[in-house]
Amino acid sequence: MRQNPLIKVFLAIYLVIFFSYLLGPLVIMGITAFNSPSFPKAAPWECLTFEWFSVLANDHRIMTGIRNSFIVGIGTVILSVIIGLAGALVLTQIWPKLRATYYTIVIAPILIPGVVLGISTLVFWGRMNAFLGLSDESFLQNGIFLTIIGQTTFISSYCMLVFVARLQRFDQGLTEAALDLGATHVQAFRKVMLPFLYPAMGSAAVLAFLASFENYNTTTFTFGKYPTLTIELAQKVRYGINPSISALAVIIVTITILGALFYEMRKRREAMAIANGAPASAVSGGGFKLPKMLAGNPAAIILALVLIGGIGTVLFAQAYNPQACKVEVREEKRKATDKRIQELQEKAKQRSLQEKLKGPDIFNQPAQSPVPPAQAPSNPGSGTFGDVFNPGNLDEGDAKKTPDKGSSLNPGSGTFGGVFNPKNLNESSGKGTSQ
Amino acid sequence: MKGTFFKEFFNRNGPLLGTYLLLAVAFWIIILIVLPQLSMLDYSFRFNLPPSAQGGEKDVYTMSNYQHFFNGSEGNPERLSIFGYQTDIPFNKVDIAVFFKTILAAIFVTAFDLALCYPLAYFLGQSASGPSGRVLLLLLIIPYWVNEILRAFAFRIIFGATGVINTVLVGVGILDTPIDFIRENVALYAGLGYAYLLLMIFPIYNAIESLDRNQIEAARDLGSPWWRIHWRIVIPFAKPGIVSGCTMVFMLTAGALAAPQILGGPSSLWFTQIIYQWFNTGGNWPRGAAYAVVLLFICIVFVLAMMRLFKVKMGEIGK
Repeated sequence: MRQNPLIKVFLAIYLVIFFSYLLGPLVIMGITAFNSPSFPKAAPWECLTFEWFSVLANDHRIMTGIRNSFIVGIGTVILSVIIGLAGALVLTQIWPKLRATYYTIVIAPILIPGVVLGISTLVFWGRMNAFLGLSDESFLQNGIFLTIIGQTTFISSYCMLVFVARLQRFDQGLTEAALDLGATHVQAFRKVMLPFLYPAMGSAAVLAFLASFENYNTTTFTFGKYPTLTIELAQKVRYGINPSISALAVIIVTITILGALFYEMRKRREAMAIANGAPASAVSGGGFKLPKMLAGNPAAIILALVLIGGIGTVLFAQAYNPQACKVEVREEKRKATDKRIQELQEKAKQRSLQEKLKGPDIFNQPAQSPVPPAQAPSNPGSGTFGDVFNPGNLDEGDAKKTPDKGSSLNPGSGTFGGVFNPKNLNESSGKGTSQ
Repeated sequence: MKGTFFKEFFNRNGPLLGTYLLLAVAFWIIILIVLPQLSMLDYSFRFNLPPSAQGGEKDVYTMSNYQHFFNGSEGNPERLSIFGYQTDIPFNKVDIAVFFKTILAAIFVTAFDLALCYPLAYFLGQSASGPSGRVLLLLLIIPYWVNEILRAFAFRIIFGATGVINTVLVGVGILDTPIDFIRENVALYAGLGYAYLLLMIFPIYNAIESLDRNQIEAARDLGSPWWRIHWRIVIPFAKPGIVSGCTMVFMLTAGALAAPQILGGPSSLWFTQIIYQWFNTGGNWPRGAAYAVVLLFICIVFVLAMMRLFKVKMGEIGK
């Protein structure tokens, strides 16, 4: 294929734009997890810190949410895989005239808005409960039950699609051969069909679990007294946040990348072995031989690097203490504040001097301590107004910090001017990494 | 006819397996899909009664919930005007405006995703094979496994008043004051487009991947310019994938709740948020159900109309 160099350039630009849209948000969120301001911010960088991970671990609502999510996820996986498998098998056998209708019905839950599914589940089981004369506390009104039911409705469709894709490659003759050789239907299903479907079952289960884990629209109507992780996250994001959520995202992304790399590595290894003439059964067994495995397998190399990096980070986090850096930043902020107080006082003094020149000034108060003029030009670099106009000063994250620092000298004016000075940035991050 | 079908079905699968298949599918279709939807439909025609009065003589059918969507609450001063003619019909301007804004925004987001994804899907399907293609696919999938809430949250970090973009722009000196991206809904559209990007790419990618490369080569050898190759060969071939991706993105965007809640400006509402309010703070479930029915109905009609327009069958969706 001949390729115009111009097209190549455009393609490269397009790919860069696309993937920065795709991955940029995650990278930036990842950065905020290690930055010390208590409102998630990637810039300006203050101090490297790992405290948000421990904040996360101590957040019992998040931890309960994770537990509920796991319970719901496991329930949904079991139900959806069973139903999805049956749905796919029926699709292959159903009377051809009914096929299109059947397919439309079972595919519809994917297209129905999740909100609608949640509402219909809630309404239907509420009425079912009333119809059966059960109390409000009954099993049918339990948040976990409703969430599993609501999610299963559409996750089964996902699972079914996975099974349908796999079944398209199934040779029906195999089952028939087994039946001819005297196997019962159950035996033929268990020994021929099921083993063929195992990989699809694995994919469907993973897909179902992830879809369940991250579902919000349906769950938000059905969770009752058992908020899942997604619900807790949504509440946190809407009513005040700190970077511990970013820390959670970092953990999730890391696990995803590890899982994907591991999967890719296994696939590569199998492909390589099969290409070299080894039987497929010999490959699927364990038996790690590191050096050989790493050779020519980029996924494995990256995986190893990521693992080493991860362990290194954890060890570093044990030894690292951001306290010094934080004190440093606080000190910088205090200095900047003092500086601005002085400047303001200087201006006030000049104004009063001018007024004196105009005439007798009765408002001049002796209590106002004059600042020696020599001190004023001590910091020529910064403007008279310091960083008053920096929008970051009004930031709520920093506002939260005010009480715990000793600079109660003048709580009204921007206490934290100097942080945005690029000079401070270098210093603090330099200190941070040097430890 | 039906009887023979069941007979054949059990002959093929045996009693145990046949029962499992039928029970599981019946449970799914009847208990999980059809009855809840019918129940919601029925519920949307009821008055909002306390539990004690439900099933009593006051529990009759009513159109009041749908009337509220079109006409607003009683004493609503807004009147419908058609092409400048003022009528006497009360008109729920707020809810209907939100509804159309939601639909229009969903169409816009869908078009944006399609424009962004088509070139990549084509590139992945036709040019990128081997390890580099697999790495790209992997990169595509990773963001999708991250929680929807967290993805929306990432956009808040980027677009917030003290977010990355504003900090950089102000810091470099391009801007004097930060732009309120959240109020302008820029963050919302970016986040919504982002959320379902993958559902657009994969159907198109799957379709284009199966296109025989020789067709493109032949067209090129015969002197066709690149845009005509796409217009006459690739797009018609990938049409089921394109429609499938557009349908999913449109339905999911119109029905999105998390992104509007997190990224929506203070003055903007998404239609799902109104439904959510009726269920939670509003405390009027039948009305919420009626609004949900309206959303579902209009979305389905819209999608079916589009499929009719582009001559694509339902069976081709989801493949």
